[in-house]
Amino acid sequence: MKKVIALLLTVVMIVSSLVACGKDSGNNNGGNAGNTSGNTSGGSNSGSSETNSGGSNTSSDEKINLTMWCIATESDSNRHAYEAAIADLKAAHPEINFTWEATQNQEYKTKIKAAVAANEMPDIFFTWSCAFLGDFVDAGRVYCVDEVYKKYASELPEVMMGNVKYDGKYYGAPLTMNIVAMFTNLDLLKEVGYDQAPTTYEELIKCCDALVAKGIIPFGCSGKETWCVTEYLESIIEKTAGASVLNDIFAGKATWKNDDVAKGVEIFQEMIKKGYFDPEGMALSNDEVKANFIAGKYAFYMNGTWNCADFYNAGIADKIQVAEFPVIDSSKSKMGELIGGPSDTLAVAASSKNAEKAAEITFELARSICKYGYLDGNGLPAWTPNYDTSSINPLTQTVADIVAKSSQMVLFGDTAMSADKANIYLDYVSQIYASAIDGKQFVDGLAKDIQ
Amino acid sequence: MKKVYSNKLTIFLFILPALLLFLLILVAPIFMSFYYSFFNWNGFGKKEFIGISNYIELFTSGSIGFPKALGNALLLAVLSVGIQLPIALGFALLLGKGRKGERGFLSIYFIPVLISTVIIGQLWLKIYNPSYGILNVALRALGLDKLTRIWLGDIKTALGAAFVPILWQYVGYHMLLMYAGIKSVPTEYREAAMIDGAREGQINRYIVLPYIKPILKISTIFAVTGSLKSFDLIYVLTNGGPLHATEVPSTLMISMLFLRNRYGMGSTIAFLLIILCFAFALIIGRIFKDKEG
Repeated sequence: MKKVIALLLTVVMIVSSLVACGKDSGNNNGGNAGNTSGNTSGGSNSGSSETNSGGSNTSSDEKINLTMWCIATESDSNRHAYEAAIADLKAAHPEINFTWEATQNQEYKTKIKAAVAANEMPDIFFTWSCAFLGDFVDAGRVYCVDEVYKKYASELPEVMMGNVKYDGKYYGAPLTMNIVAMFTNLDLLKEVGYDQAPTTYEELIKCCDALVAKGIIPFGCSGKETWCVTEYLESIIEKTAGASVLNDIFAGKATWKNDDVAKGVEIFQEMIKKGYFDPEGMALSNDEVKANFIAGKYAFYMNGTWNCADFYNAGIADKIQVAEFPVIDSSKSKMGELIGGPSDTLAVAASSKNAEKAAEITFELARSICKYGYLDGNGLPAWTPNYDTSSINPLTQTVADIVAKSSQMVLFGDTAMSADKANIYLDYVSQIYASAIDGKQFVDGLAKDIQ
Repeated sequence: MKKVYSNKLTIFLFILPALLLFLLILVAPIFMSFYYSFFNWNGFGKKEFIGISNYIELFTSGSIGFPKALGNALLLAVLSVGIQLPIALGFALLLGKGRKGERGFLSIYFIPVLISTVIIGQLWLKIYNPSYGILNVALRALGLDKLTRIWLGDIKTALGAAFVPILWQYVGYHMLLMYAGIKSVPTEYREAAMIDGAREGQINRYIVLPYIKPILKISTIFAVTGSLKSFDLIYVLTNGGPLHATEVPSTLMISMLFLRNRYGMGSTIAFLLIILCFAFALIIGRIFKDKEG
């Protein structure tokens, strides 16, 4: 009898524990990605402003729950733009329970890919356009926003939607756009007799020679984050080979085996050999290099124009000049050919239970984030500004002037290419920065490995 | 009650929940990784069966560089066994003799194990910083400017510089394992040896070390398998760079899975890592068994 009772008790224990597990998982299922929105304690995550634990389902009081993931962490220059845009959204849409979560850039790439793989995405998510978003679109994980875009087409020019268009359909709402610019410390340039950034390549080389002779490091560039090296390399290749050539190569329409590209790479390496770049940059992160530039260690810093706000807020805007990298071969390139374009995007998960509403909210948010981001100086607007822009910081205004005069833009290589190709490309770029290979090996290797 | 416990069905039912968890959390993912390793798959699109192509590409592709990553992990394993464990053993033998301040030293040596690896990584990043890092500052202060380096940015020094904190962090862990073993050696054995005229070194060699051999085996397995799957400190310090100089299989796996969207290739690396860890654990177990025999 005792044996039977013990067995029965054992079975009851196991069944009850399994049932309990089942109930838990049942509760969690409703939440998909949104069930993490209330928990913001992990690592670099931050930013959830609501604590409801539902997912993208409609709750009993008829409120619609929407979740968003993005990269606007506390230290991100776009943080304020997101906070202001979300505050506006909540005021305008009391029927929506909106929760959001921010993760740092590199970790976010891992997180969103894992979420896409598991089909547990938030309703709205930040993404980079072109190939990054393209992989998700190909997998059928992104909601097509053609219908919603029609409502906003008058404020969002079609030309800005080019990078979120796949097979003739739109899959996202762009935010701000940025280009690569040469930030120049005029105080350091004055020490070698220059009162503005060099406008020709020859003048730039003379200026760098003078800076080196004076013991001033001309350029700072993080080797630890290879995308920073591409900001230099792509600008130099573009001004050597021309924007069209680079665009075609990134788009896979032309081969990497191009003598002008190899020449551009060798010009970059020559600059490294001449001591124009801080050798310590190989071991530094971009944040550290940027801090060095702000502290006055480098004369030039080439990076995205999203930095304008940071330089302005650091109180160095009056001694900084934003300029375009000068033309190296005027027979192939010209001023106005830039690296950059609209890349930051918000998209909607196809799995969202309120995808249509989420798409509308996405466009409203994108418009607001673009507005606040532009006013804060974090980039140029992808949306047509219909508000007072006189308060925008002078650095961003200069960028706007440069873009207004531009004739052609080439999107950042690591955004334009698929993830696998982009990382092979970045591998080669890091070898160039370390002078492990030369220009010919660079173009031959890339032609072999990714074409 | 004894009858109940000896009933096979009862035993099975009691272990069933744990067994299910073990199968679902540990065994199933291994088989899943093995299955995915035969596919060309980006993690969310369509899977394309490609047989053993991932395994072939892993060992032949220059752009992946798996042999170098594996070589780095094996070098770390050799250094762990050759440097880390002897240091840990030395400390354990010193403290095991019951020196003054034994507990204090024990706690101090164990502190690095308790601190988060990310914090240790940040700490060593500051030590190695080429401008203000204490290492270069000390070298300059001693007039050894020629020896200053960009420790984590130079392909010649990055691997060594990344290995130092890894080896340093776990000395305390192995020391504690060995210390516990040494403390369990009966004092009668030591006293008998001393009466017979054995010196300290002889007592350690002929009594203590044979006595703690099972612990040495465990420490060696932990050191080798830990080296093969090392990830966190490398990720924080160099993320595998510069130019893959500090790449280890785990950083390569993360890069394949989440940067290059190659889930098939990432699964291949994951599966090979598991096999390697099992293989080394078995080999080390066999070596110690042979020695015992």
